[in-house]
Amino acid sequence: MSTMPATEADKNQLPLVQQIVSIMWPSFLTASAATIIFFTLFDPIELGQIGGFPSLTRTGGYTIGFFCFWLLTSISCALTCYFRRPTNRFNTTNKTTES
Amino acid sequence: MSQSAAKQTDPNLESELYKKREKLYPREVHGVFAVLRLLTMAALLGAYYGMPWINWDGHQAVLFDLPARKFYIFGLTLWPQDFFYLSMLLIIAAISLFLFTALAGRLWCGYACPQTVWTEIYMWIERKIEGSSKAQRKRDQGPRDAAYFGIKSLKHAAWLLFSLWTGFTFVGYFTPILELWTNVITWTLGPWETFWIFFYGFATYGNAGFMREQVCIYMCPYARFQSAMFDHDTLIISYDEKRGNPRGSRKRGTPSAEVGLGDCIDCSLCVQVCPVGIDIRDGLQYQCIGCAACIDVCDDVMDKMGYPRGLVKYTTENALMGNPTRIVRPRVLAYVAILAFVSIALLYALLTRVPLEVDIIRDRNALYTETDQGLVQNVYNLKIINMDDRPQRFRLAVSGLEGLKVIGQTEGIEIGSGAVIDLPLRVEIDPIELKSSSTEILFHIESEINPQELSIDEHARFLGPVSR
Repeated sequence: MSTMPATEADKNQLPLVQQIVSIMWPSFLTASAATIIFFTLFDPIELGQIGGFPSLTRTGGYTIGFFCFWLLTSISCALTCYFRRPTNRFNTTNKTTES
Repeated sequence: MSQSAAKQTDPNLESELYKKREKLYPREVHGVFAVLRLLTMAALLGAYYGMPWINWDGHQAVLFDLPARKFYIFGLTLWPQDFFYLSMLLIIAAISLFLFTALAGRLWCGYACPQTVWTEIYMWIERKIEGSSKAQRKRDQGPRDAAYFGIKSLKHAAWLLFSLWTGFTFVGYFTPILELWTNVITWTLGPWETFWIFFYGFATYGNAGFMREQVCIYMCPYARFQSAMFDHDTLIISYDEKRGNPRGSRKRGTPSAEVGLGDCIDCSLCVQVCPVGIDIRDGLQYQCIGCAACIDVCDDVMDKMGYPRGLVKYTTENALMGNPTRIVRPRVLAYVAILAFVSIALLYALLTRVPLEVDIIRDRNALYTETDQGLVQNVYNLKIINMDDRPQRFRLAVSGLEGLKVIGQTEGIEIGSGAVIDLPLRVEIDPIELKSSSTEILFHIESEINPQELSIDEHARFLGPVSR
Protein backbone atom coordinates (compact mmCIF):
# COMPACT_ATOMS: atom_id res chain seq x y z
CA MET A 1 0.00 0.00 0.00
CA SER A 2 2.83 2.34 0.75
CA THR A 3 3.83 2.39 -2.90
CA MET A 4 0.54 4.01 -3.88
CA PRO A 5 0.91 7.65 -4.73
CA ALA A 6 -0.66 10.04 -2.26
CA THR A 7 -3.69 11.70 -3.78
CA GLU A 8 -4.83 15.24 -3.15
CA ALA A 9 -7.47 13.89 -0.78
CA ASP A 10 -4.82 11.98 1.14
CA LYS A 11 -2.91 15.15 1.78
CA ASN A 12 -6.05 16.75 3.15
CA GLN A 13 -6.34 14.04 5.78
CA LEU A 14 -6.03 15.22 9.37
CA PRO A 15 -3.08 14.03 11.43
CA LEU A 16 -3.86 11.02 13.60
CA VAL A 17 -4.13 12.89 16.90
CA GLN A 18 -6.57 15.38 15.39
CA GLN A 19 -8.63 12.54 13.95
CA ILE A 20 -8.86 10.94 17.38
CA VAL A 21 -9.94 14.20 19.01
CA SER A 22 -12.48 14.92 16.30
CA ILE A 23 -13.96 11.49 17.03
CA MET A 24 -13.86 11.61 20.82
CA TRP A 25 -15.17 15.12 21.43
CA PRO A 26 -18.48 15.18 19.49
CA SER A 27 -19.21 11.67 20.71
CA PHE A 28 -18.58 12.83 24.28
CA LEU A 29 -21.17 15.60 23.86
CA THR A 30 -23.84 13.33 22.40
CA ALA A 31 -23.08 10.58 24.91
CA SER A 32 -23.60 13.03 27.77
CA ALA A 33 -26.98 14.06 26.40
CA ALA A 34 -27.97 10.44 25.80
CA THR A 35 -26.96 9.47 29.35
CA ILE A 36 -29.07 12.21 30.89
CA ILE A 37 -32.15 11.31 28.86
CA PHE A 38 -31.74 7.55 29.28
CA PHE A 39 -31.30 7.61 33.05
CA THR A 40 -34.15 10.04 33.49
CA LEU A 41 -36.37 7.31 32.14
CA PHE A 42 -34.66 4.26 33.62
CA ASP A 43 -33.32 3.58 37.07
CA PRO A 44 -29.94 1.80 36.89
CA ILE A 45 -30.76 -0.29 39.96
CA GLU A 46 -33.84 -1.72 38.29
CA LEU A 47 -31.90 -2.28 35.07
CA GLY A 48 -29.18 -4.03 37.07
CA GLN A 49 -31.70 -6.35 38.67
CA ILE A 50 -33.25 -7.25 35.34
CA GLY A 51 -29.85 -7.68 33.72
CA GLY A 52 -28.48 -9.88 36.46
CA PHE A 53 -26.24 -7.39 38.27
CA PRO A 54 -28.06 -7.08 41.60
CA SER A 55 -25.09 -5.44 43.35
CA LEU A 56 -24.86 -2.54 40.88
CA THR A 57 -25.07 0.85 42.57
CA ARG A 58 -26.73 3.81 40.92
CA THR A 59 -23.52 5.79 40.58
CA GLY A 60 -21.88 2.72 39.06
CA GLY A 61 -24.80 2.29 36.69
CA TYR A 62 -24.62 5.89 35.54
CA THR A 63 -20.89 5.62 34.96
CA ILE A 64 -21.06 2.37 33.03
CA GLY A 65 -24.03 3.71 31.07
CA PHE A 66 -22.17 6.87 30.16
CA PHE A 67 -19.14 5.00 28.90
CA CYS A 68 -21.28 2.55 26.93
CA PHE A 69 -22.96 5.50 25.25
CA TRP A 70 -19.60 7.13 24.64
CA LEU A 71 -18.27 3.92 23.11
CA LEU A 72 -21.28 3.68 20.79
CA THR A 73 -21.25 7.33 19.73
CA SER A 74 -17.50 7.27 19.19
CA ILE A 75 -17.86 4.17 17.04
CA SER A 76 -20.33 5.97 14.80
CA CYS A 77 -18.07 9.04 14.67
CA ALA A 78 -15.12 6.80 13.84
CA LEU A 79 -17.08 5.08 11.07
CA THR A 80 -17.99 8.46 9.59
CA CYS A 81 -14.33 9.40 9.70
CA TYR A 82 -13.36 6.08 8.14
CA PHE A 83 -15.88 6.21 5.29
CA ARG A 84 -14.88 9.75 4.49
CA ARG A 85 -11.44 8.57 3.55
CA PRO A 86 -10.59 8.42 -0.14
CA THR A 87 -11.12 4.97 -1.57
CA ASN A 88 -9.02 5.30 -4.69
CA ARG A 89 -5.82 4.53 -2.82
CA PHE A 90 -7.00 0.98 -2.27
CA ASN A 91 -9.15 0.52 -5.37
CA THR A 92 -6.81 2.03 -7.86
CA THR A 93 -6.57 0.60 -11.38
CA ASN A 94 -3.34 -0.75 -12.76
CA LYS A 95 -3.06 2.19 -15.13
CA THR A 96 -2.43 4.71 -12.40
CA THR A 97 0.24 2.63 -10.70
CA GLU A 98 2.08 2.03 -13.98
CA SER A 99 2.32 5.69 -14.84
CA MET B 1 13.12 10.43 22.39
CA SER B 2 13.11 12.06 18.98
CA GLN B 3 9.88 13.76 19.90
CA SER B 4 11.38 15.41 22.95
CA ALA B 5 14.38 16.41 20.86
CA ALA B 6 12.09 18.10 18.37
CA LYS B 7 10.43 19.95 21.21
CA GLN B 8 13.77 21.16 22.41
CA THR B 9 14.52 22.85 19.13
CA ASP B 10 11.33 24.87 19.10
CA PRO B 11 9.72 25.04 22.51
CA ASN B 12 6.94 27.34 21.32
CA LEU B 13 5.61 25.00 18.72
CA GLU B 14 3.69 22.38 20.64
CA SER B 15 2.20 19.45 18.84
CA GLU B 16 -1.39 20.18 19.61
CA LEU B 17 -4.67 18.36 19.44
CA TYR B 18 -6.18 20.45 16.67
CA LYS B 19 -3.28 22.06 14.90
CA LYS B 20 0.27 23.21 15.39
CA ARG B 21 -0.12 25.99 17.83
CA GLU B 22 2.11 28.75 18.97
CA LYS B 23 1.97 28.73 22.75
CA LEU B 24 0.41 31.95 23.99
CA TYR B 25 1.75 34.02 26.84
CA PRO B 26 -1.04 36.56 27.37
CA ARG B 27 0.22 39.62 29.19
CA GLU B 28 -1.52 40.68 32.39
CA VAL B 29 -3.95 43.60 32.03
CA HIS B 30 -5.26 46.20 34.43
CA GLY B 31 -8.28 48.35 33.82
CA VAL B 32 -12.03 48.68 34.13
CA PHE B 33 -12.89 45.50 32.28
CA ALA B 34 -10.12 43.52 33.96
CA VAL B 35 -11.65 44.46 37.31
CA LEU B 36 -15.08 43.53 36.03
CA ARG B 37 -13.75 40.19 34.82
CA LEU B 38 -12.03 39.59 38.13
CA LEU B 39 -15.23 40.33 40.04
CA THR B 40 -17.36 38.00 37.92
CA MET B 41 -14.65 35.36 38.19
CA ALA B 42 -14.61 35.66 41.99
CA ALA B 43 -18.40 35.58 42.18
CA LEU B 44 -18.77 32.59 39.85
CA LEU B 45 -15.96 30.54 41.37
CA GLY B 46 -17.21 31.44 44.84
CA ALA B 47 -20.68 30.24 43.88
CA TYR B 48 -19.32 27.04 42.34
CA TYR B 49 -17.10 26.07 45.26
CA GLY B 50 -19.39 27.40 47.99
CA MET B 51 -22.84 26.33 46.84
CA PRO B 52 -22.62 22.62 47.76
CA TRP B 53 -21.80 23.55 51.37
CA ILE B 54 -24.98 25.57 51.87
CA ASN B 55 -27.85 23.82 53.60
CA TRP B 56 -31.53 24.44 53.11
CA ASP B 57 -34.34 22.92 55.12
CA GLY B 58 -32.16 20.10 56.39
CA HIS B 59 -30.66 19.12 53.04
CA GLN B 60 -27.97 20.41 50.75
CA ALA B 61 -29.39 23.51 49.02
CA VAL B 62 -28.42 22.49 45.50
CA LEU B 63 -27.99 18.77 45.10
CA PHE B 64 -28.63 16.68 42.04
CA ASP B 65 -28.72 13.59 44.17
CA LEU B 66 -27.98 10.91 41.60
CA PRO B 67 -27.71 8.01 44.08
CA ALA B 68 -31.20 8.84 45.39
CA ARG B 69 -32.60 10.06 42.05
CA LYS B 70 -33.83 13.35 43.52
CA PHE B 71 -32.94 16.90 42.60
CA TYR B 72 -32.97 19.55 45.30
CA ILE B 73 -32.90 23.17 44.21
CA PHE B 74 -33.44 25.13 47.42
CA GLY B 75 -37.12 24.69 48.36
CA LEU B 76 -37.90 22.64 45.28
CA THR B 77 -37.52 18.87 45.09
CA LEU B 78 -37.61 17.39 41.63
CA TRP B 79 -37.87 13.74 40.66
CA PRO B 80 -36.89 12.00 37.44
CA GLN B 81 -40.56 12.33 36.49
CA ASP B 82 -40.09 16.10 36.66
CA PHE B 83 -37.40 16.10 34.00
CA PHE B 84 -39.75 18.33 32.03
CA TYR B 85 -39.11 21.23 34.42
CA LEU B 86 -35.36 20.86 34.13
CA SER B 87 -35.52 20.83 30.36
CA MET B 88 -37.66 23.97 30.52
CA LEU B 89 -34.97 25.55 32.68
CA LEU B 90 -32.35 24.58 30.12
CA ILE B 91 -34.46 26.09 27.32
CA ILE B 92 -34.76 29.31 29.32
CA ALA B 93 -30.99 29.35 29.82
CA ALA B 94 -30.41 28.82 26.09
CA ILE B 95 -32.79 31.58 25.03
CA SER B 96 -31.32 33.97 27.60
CA LEU B 97 -27.93 33.24 26.07
CA PHE B 98 -29.32 34.06 22.60
CA LEU B 99 -30.82 37.29 23.91
CA PHE B 100 -27.60 38.39 25.60
CA THR B 101 -25.63 37.48 22.52
CA ALA B 102 -27.89 39.53 20.25
CA LEU B 103 -27.61 42.50 22.59
CA ALA B 104 -24.08 42.38 23.91
CA GLY B 105 -22.17 39.94 21.73
CA ARG B 106 -20.00 37.38 23.41
CA LEU B 107 -20.61 38.58 26.91
CA TRP B 108 -20.94 34.98 28.01
CA CYS B 109 -17.61 33.96 26.48
CA GLY B 110 -15.66 36.89 27.84
CA TYR B 111 -16.91 36.94 31.39
CA ALA B 112 -19.00 33.96 32.47
CA CYS B 113 -18.04 30.85 30.51
CA PRO B 114 -16.44 28.21 32.75
CA GLN B 115 -13.68 27.80 30.19
CA THR B 116 -12.82 31.51 30.47
CA VAL B 117 -13.21 31.63 34.23
CA TRP B 118 -11.04 28.59 34.91
CA THR B 119 -8.45 29.63 32.34
CA GLU B 120 -8.29 32.95 34.12
CA ILE B 121 -7.71 31.43 37.54
CA TYR B 122 -5.16 28.95 36.13
CA MET B 123 -3.31 31.81 34.47
CA TRP B 124 -3.42 33.68 37.75
CA ILE B 125 -1.82 30.70 39.52
CA GLU B 126 0.70 30.44 36.69
CA ARG B 127 1.62 34.10 37.04
CA LYS B 128 1.94 33.86 40.81
CA ILE B 129 4.42 30.98 40.47
CA GLU B 130 6.14 31.56 37.14
CA GLY B 131 6.07 35.33 37.03
CA SER B 132 4.97 37.62 34.21
CA SER B 133 4.34 36.42 30.68
CA LYS B 134 7.76 37.75 29.70
CA ALA B 135 9.45 35.72 32.45
CA GLN B 136 7.47 32.64 31.41
CA ARG B 137 8.53 32.95 27.81
CA LYS B 138 12.14 33.45 28.80
CA ARG B 139 12.06 30.39 31.05
CA ASP B 140 10.53 28.22 28.32
CA GLN B 141 13.24 29.25 25.88
CA GLY B 142 16.00 28.93 28.47
CA PRO B 143 17.89 25.89 29.71
CA ARG B 144 16.15 22.90 31.24
CA ASP B 145 17.92 23.16 34.57
CA ALA B 146 16.89 22.33 38.12
CA ALA B 147 15.29 25.73 38.62
CA TYR B 148 13.19 25.22 35.50
CA PHE B 149 11.89 21.83 36.59
CA GLY B 150 11.44 23.02 40.16
CA ILE B 151 9.24 25.94 39.23
CA LYS B 152 7.31 23.92 36.63
CA SER B 153 6.62 21.11 39.12
CA LEU B 154 5.42 23.67 41.64
CA LYS B 155 3.00 25.13 39.08
CA HIS B 156 1.67 21.74 38.04
CA ALA B 157 1.31 20.66 41.66
CA ALA B 158 -0.74 23.79 42.39
CA TRP B 159 -2.82 23.24 39.24
CA LEU B 160 -3.40 19.59 40.08
CA LEU B 161 -4.45 20.35 43.65
CA PHE B 162 -6.87 22.98 42.41
CA SER B 163 -8.16 20.54 39.76
CA LEU B 164 -8.79 17.83 42.32
CA TRP B 165 -10.66 20.27 44.51
CA THR B 166 -12.69 21.26 41.46
CA GLY B 167 -13.43 17.60 40.72
CA PHE B 168 -14.38 16.98 44.33
CA THR B 169 -16.76 19.95 44.29
CA PHE B 170 -18.25 18.75 41.02
CA VAL B 171 -19.02 15.32 42.46
CA GLY B 172 -20.36 17.15 45.53
CA TYR B 173 -23.22 18.45 43.38
CA PHE B 174 -24.30 14.87 42.70
CA THR B 175 -23.68 13.11 45.99
CA PRO B 176 -24.09 14.82 49.38
CA ILE B 177 -20.83 16.73 49.82
CA LEU B 178 -20.50 16.29 53.58
CA GLU B 179 -20.68 12.52 53.19
CA LEU B 180 -18.22 12.77 50.32
CA TRP B 181 -15.82 14.85 52.39
CA THR B 182 -16.02 12.38 55.28
CA ASN B 183 -15.22 9.62 52.81
CA VAL B 184 -12.25 11.56 51.49
CA ILE B 185 -10.66 12.19 54.87
CA THR B 186 -11.33 8.68 56.15
CA TRP B 187 -9.98 7.27 52.89
CA THR B 188 -13.18 5.32 52.19
CA LEU B 189 -14.22 6.92 48.93
CA GLY B 190 -16.20 4.63 46.62
CA PRO B 191 -14.61 3.62 43.31
CA TRP B 192 -17.10 5.55 41.16
CA GLU B 193 -16.82 8.77 43.15
CA THR B 194 -13.03 8.51 43.05
CA PHE B 195 -13.16 7.98 39.31
CA TRP B 196 -15.36 11.03 38.66
CA ILE B 197 -13.31 13.29 40.93
CA PHE B 198 -10.21 12.39 38.94
CA PHE B 199 -12.01 12.47 35.60
CA TYR B 200 -13.44 15.93 36.13
CA GLY B 201 -10.26 17.14 37.80
CA PHE B 202 -8.23 15.93 34.86
CA ALA B 203 -10.59 17.64 32.40
CA THR B 204 -10.23 20.92 34.30
CA TYR B 205 -6.44 20.56 34.38
CA GLY B 206 -6.32 19.90 30.66
CA ASN B 207 -8.84 22.53 29.59
CA ALA B 208 -7.71 25.40 31.80
CA GLY B 209 -4.01 24.58 31.92
CA PHE B 210 -3.26 23.46 28.37
CA MET B 211 -6.15 23.62 25.90
CA ARG B 212 -7.28 27.13 26.84
CA GLU B 213 -8.24 29.16 23.76
CA GLN B 214 -8.27 26.02 21.60
CA VAL B 215 -11.44 24.93 23.41
CA CYS B 216 -13.12 28.14 22.24
CA ILE B 217 -11.75 28.00 18.72
CA TYR B 218 -12.17 24.32 17.89
CA MET B 219 -14.35 22.57 20.45
CA CYS B 220 -17.09 24.95 21.47
CA PRO B 221 -20.36 24.59 19.55
CA TYR B 222 -21.60 27.95 20.81
CA ALA B 223 -18.53 29.74 19.44
CA ARG B 224 -19.39 28.30 16.04
CA PHE B 225 -22.98 29.44 15.87
CA GLN B 226 -22.95 32.60 18.00
CA SER B 227 -22.51 34.73 14.89
CA ALA B 228 -26.02 33.70 13.85
CA MET B 229 -27.33 35.90 16.67
CA PHE B 230 -25.24 38.87 15.60
CA ASP B 231 -26.51 41.85 13.64
CA HIS B 232 -25.32 45.40 13.02
CA ASP B 233 -26.60 46.52 16.43
CA THR B 234 -24.80 43.86 18.46
CA LEU B 235 -22.15 45.07 20.85
CA ILE B 236 -18.74 44.05 19.57
CA ILE B 237 -15.18 44.93 20.42
CA SER B 238 -13.65 46.83 17.59
CA TYR B 239 -10.65 48.86 16.60
CA ASP B 240 -11.52 52.24 15.15
CA GLU B 241 -9.74 51.96 11.82
CA LYS B 242 -10.60 55.46 10.65
CA ARG B 243 -9.04 56.96 13.73
CA GLY B 244 -6.12 54.58 14.16
CA ASN B 245 -4.68 54.21 10.67
CA PRO B 246 -2.06 54.78 9.38
CA ARG B 247 -0.28 53.22 12.33
CA GLY B 248 3.18 54.09 13.45
CA SER B 249 5.36 54.84 16.44
CA ARG B 250 6.10 58.33 17.56
CA LYS B 251 7.38 60.17 20.63
CA ARG B 252 5.14 60.30 23.66
CA GLY B 253 2.76 63.26 23.60
CA THR B 254 3.19 64.02 19.91
CA PRO B 255 -0.16 64.89 18.30
CA SER B 256 -0.96 62.38 15.53
CA ALA B 257 -1.61 65.08 12.93
CA GLU B 258 1.90 66.42 13.40
CA VAL B 259 3.50 63.17 12.26
CA GLY B 260 0.85 62.41 9.67
CA LEU B 261 -0.27 59.20 11.37
CA GLY B 262 -3.43 57.84 12.94
CA ASP B 263 -3.79 57.39 16.70
CA CYS B 264 -2.54 53.80 16.74
CA ILE B 265 1.11 53.84 17.82
CA ASP B 266 1.51 50.20 16.77
CA CYS B 267 2.77 49.15 20.20
CA SER B 268 1.17 45.69 19.67
CA LEU B 269 0.07 45.55 23.30
CA CYS B 270 -3.46 44.63 22.19
CA VAL B 271 -1.98 41.55 20.55
CA GLN B 272 0.17 40.70 23.55
CA VAL B 273 -2.75 40.68 25.99
CA CYS B 274 -5.10 38.71 23.76
CA PRO B 275 -5.89 35.32 25.32
CA VAL B 276 -6.76 33.82 21.91
CA GLY B 277 -3.79 35.33 20.10
CA ILE B 278 -5.50 37.51 17.49
CA ASP B 279 -4.95 41.07 16.36
CA ILE B 280 -8.16 43.00 16.99
CA ARG B 281 -7.05 45.58 14.43
CA ASP B 282 -7.71 43.03 11.68
CA GLY B 283 -11.43 43.40 12.32
CA LEU B 284 -14.08 41.20 13.92
CA GLN B 285 -12.86 37.60 14.09
CA TYR B 286 -14.68 34.48 15.19
CA GLN B 287 -11.85 33.65 17.60
CA CYS B 288 -12.49 36.82 19.61
CA ILE B 289 -14.17 35.86 22.88
CA GLY B 290 -14.97 39.47 23.76
CA CYS B 291 -12.90 39.62 26.95
CA ALA B 292 -12.07 43.33 26.45
CA ALA B 293 -8.43 42.92 27.53
CA CYS B 294 -7.37 44.87 24.44
CA ILE B 295 -9.69 47.74 25.38
CA ASP B 296 -8.12 48.06 28.82
CA VAL B 297 -4.56 47.97 27.55
CA CYS B 298 -5.21 50.37 24.66
CA ASP B 299 -7.00 52.88 26.90
CA ASP B 300 -3.93 52.83 29.09
CA VAL B 301 -1.70 53.58 26.12
CA MET B 302 -4.00 56.35 24.90
CA ASP B 303 -3.85 57.93 28.39
CA LYS B 304 -0.06 57.85 28.30
CA MET B 305 0.02 59.36 24.84
CA GLY B 306 -2.48 62.02 25.83
CA TYR B 307 -4.98 60.83 23.19
CA PRO B 308 -8.67 60.26 23.88
CA ARG B 309 -9.59 56.73 24.99
CA GLY B 310 -11.58 54.31 22.90
CA LEU B 311 -9.36 53.49 19.94
CA VAL B 312 -10.38 49.93 20.72
CA LYS B 313 -13.81 49.89 22.32
CA TYR B 314 -17.18 48.28 22.74
CA THR B 315 -19.24 49.47 19.84
CA THR B 316 -21.64 48.25 17.17
CA GLU B 317 -21.20 47.93 13.44
CA ASN B 318 -23.85 50.60 12.95
CA ALA B 319 -22.00 52.98 15.24
CA LEU B 320 -18.76 52.33 13.38
CA MET B 321 -20.49 53.23 10.13
CA GLY B 322 -21.91 56.35 11.71
CA ASN B 323 -25.48 55.07 11.91
CA PRO B 324 -27.60 55.12 15.06
CA THR B 325 -27.63 51.90 17.12
CA ARG B 326 -31.00 50.41 17.94
CA ILE B 327 -31.37 48.33 21.07
CA VAL B 328 -35.01 47.41 20.56
CA ARG B 329 -35.32 45.56 17.27
CA PRO B 330 -37.38 42.63 15.95
CA ARG B 331 -34.73 40.05 16.83
CA VAL B 332 -34.49 41.24 20.43
CA LEU B 333 -38.27 41.47 20.75
CA ALA B 334 -38.63 37.93 19.44
CA TYR B 335 -36.13 36.54 21.96
CA VAL B 336 -37.78 38.47 24.79
CA ALA B 337 -41.22 37.21 23.76
CA ILE B 338 -40.10 33.56 23.62
CA LEU B 339 -38.25 33.95 26.90
CA ALA B 340 -41.27 35.48 28.61
CA PHE B 341 -43.56 32.78 27.24
CA VAL B 342 -41.37 29.88 28.37
CA SER B 343 -40.70 31.47 31.77
CA ILE B 344 -44.40 32.03 32.44
CA ALA B 345 -45.19 28.51 31.28
CA LEU B 346 -42.56 27.09 33.63
CA LEU B 347 -43.81 29.19 36.52
CA TYR B 348 -47.37 28.11 35.89
CA ALA B 349 -46.36 24.47 35.60
CA LEU B 350 -44.39 24.67 38.84
CA LEU B 351 -47.21 26.37 40.73
CA THR B 352 -49.83 23.87 39.59
CA ARG B 353 -47.54 20.86 39.96
CA VAL B 354 -49.13 18.01 41.91
CA PRO B 355 -46.42 16.40 44.03
CA LEU B 356 -47.93 12.97 43.70
CA GLU B 357 -47.13 10.30 41.17
CA VAL B 358 -48.50 6.86 40.58
CA ASP B 359 -47.30 4.10 38.27
CA ILE B 360 -49.57 1.14 37.70
CA ILE B 361 -47.91 -2.08 36.68
CA ARG B 362 -50.06 -5.05 35.74
CA ASP B 363 -49.09 -8.38 37.17
CA ARG B 364 -46.91 -10.05 34.55
CA ASN B 365 -47.72 -13.66 35.40
CA ALA B 366 -51.32 -13.86 34.32
CA LEU B 367 -53.59 -11.64 32.24
CA TYR B 368 -56.47 -12.43 34.58
CA THR B 369 -57.56 -15.19 36.94
CA GLU B 370 -60.94 -16.56 37.89
CA THR B 371 -61.70 -16.82 41.58
CA ASP B 372 -63.60 -19.65 43.31
CA GLN B 373 -66.71 -17.47 43.25
CA GLY B 374 -66.46 -17.15 39.46
CA LEU B 375 -65.26 -13.57 39.49
CA VAL B 376 -62.62 -12.23 37.11
CA GLN B 377 -59.61 -10.91 38.95
CA ASN B 378 -56.76 -8.65 37.76
CA VAL B 379 -53.68 -7.97 39.87
CA TYR B 380 -51.99 -4.59 39.83
CA ASN B 381 -48.97 -3.26 41.56
CA LEU B 382 -49.23 0.44 42.32
CA LYS B 383 -46.09 2.46 42.87
CA ILE B 384 -47.12 5.64 44.66
CA ILE B 385 -44.61 8.42 45.13
CA ASN B 386 -45.31 11.21 47.57
CA MET B 387 -43.20 14.09 46.26
CA ASP B 388 -44.62 16.50 48.84
CA ASP B 389 -42.51 17.99 51.60
CA ARG B 390 -44.80 16.48 54.24
CA PRO B 391 -45.89 12.90 54.95
CA GLN B 392 -49.40 12.20 53.67
CA ARG B 393 -52.28 9.76 54.09
CA PHE B 394 -54.02 8.78 50.89
CA ARG B 395 -57.18 6.96 49.90
CA LEU B 396 -57.89 5.24 46.65
CA ALA B 397 -60.89 4.43 44.46
CA VAL B 398 -61.28 2.50 41.23
CA SER B 399 -63.95 3.29 38.66
CA GLY B 400 -64.79 2.57 35.05
CA LEU B 401 -66.84 -0.59 35.37
CA GLU B 402 -70.03 -1.41 37.29
CA GLY B 403 -69.45 -3.44 40.44
CA LEU B 404 -65.68 -3.28 40.60
CA LYS B 405 -64.39 -4.57 43.91
CA VAL B 406 -60.95 -3.73 45.24
CA ILE B 407 -59.18 -6.14 47.53
CA GLY B 408 -56.31 -4.52 49.38
CA GLN B 409 -55.63 -1.32 51.23
CA THR B 410 -57.71 1.57 49.91
CA GLU B 411 -57.69 3.92 52.91
CA GLY B 412 -55.13 5.35 55.27
CA ILE B 413 -52.26 4.72 52.90
CA GLU B 414 -49.39 6.45 54.67
CA ILE B 415 -46.42 7.64 52.66
CA GLY B 416 -43.57 9.66 54.10
CA SER B 417 -42.24 12.79 52.44
CA GLY B 418 -40.31 11.84 49.35
CA ALA B 419 -41.04 8.15 49.86
CA VAL B 420 -42.25 5.50 47.46
CA ILE B 421 -44.51 2.61 48.39
CA ASP B 422 -45.51 -0.49 46.48
CA LEU B 423 -49.18 -1.26 46.88
CA PRO B 424 -50.41 -4.59 45.49
CA LEU B 425 -54.11 -4.53 44.67
CA ARG B 426 -56.52 -7.11 43.35
CA VAL B 427 -59.54 -5.87 41.42
CA GLU B 428 -62.49 -8.21 40.93
CA ILE B 429 -65.63 -8.09 38.85
CA ASP B 430 -68.50 -10.33 37.86
CA PRO B 431 -67.81 -11.37 34.23
CA ILE B 432 -71.39 -10.40 33.31
CA GLU B 433 -70.35 -6.78 33.63
CA LEU B 434 -67.52 -7.14 31.15
CA LYS B 435 -68.41 -5.82 27.71
CA SER B 436 -65.06 -6.51 26.11
CA SER B 437 -61.84 -8.37 26.78
CA SER B 438 -60.07 -5.16 27.68
CA THR B 439 -61.63 -2.20 29.45
CA GLU B 440 -60.07 0.99 30.62
CA ILE B 441 -60.45 1.61 34.34
CA LEU B 442 -59.44 4.60 36.39
CA PHE B 443 -57.51 4.68 39.64
CA HIS B 444 -58.15 7.82 41.64
CA ILE B 445 -55.79 8.59 44.51
CA GLU B 446 -56.24 11.57 46.78
CA SER B 447 -54.95 12.94 50.04
CA GLU B 448 -57.35 12.29 52.93
CA ILE B 449 -56.71 15.73 54.38
CA ASN B 450 -56.40 17.79 51.25
CA PRO B 451 -58.21 15.93 48.42
CA GLN B 452 -58.73 19.03 46.28
CA GLU B 453 -55.10 19.88 45.83
CA LEU B 454 -53.40 16.56 46.16
CA SER B 455 -55.03 14.04 43.88
CA ILE B 456 -54.18 12.13 40.77
CA ASP B 457 -55.92 9.94 38.19
CA GLU B 458 -54.21 7.14 36.40
CA HIS B 459 -55.63 4.83 33.74
CA ALA B 460 -55.09 1.09 33.58
CA ARG B 461 -56.54 -1.79 31.61
CA PHE B 462 -58.76 -4.46 33.06
CA LEU B 463 -58.54 -7.72 31.13
CA GLY B 464 -61.05 -10.51 31.12
CA PRO B 465 -62.31 -13.47 29.08
CA VAL B 466 -63.35 -12.67 25.51
CA SER B 467 -67.01 -11.83 25.44
CA ARG B 468 -69.19 -12.18 22.44
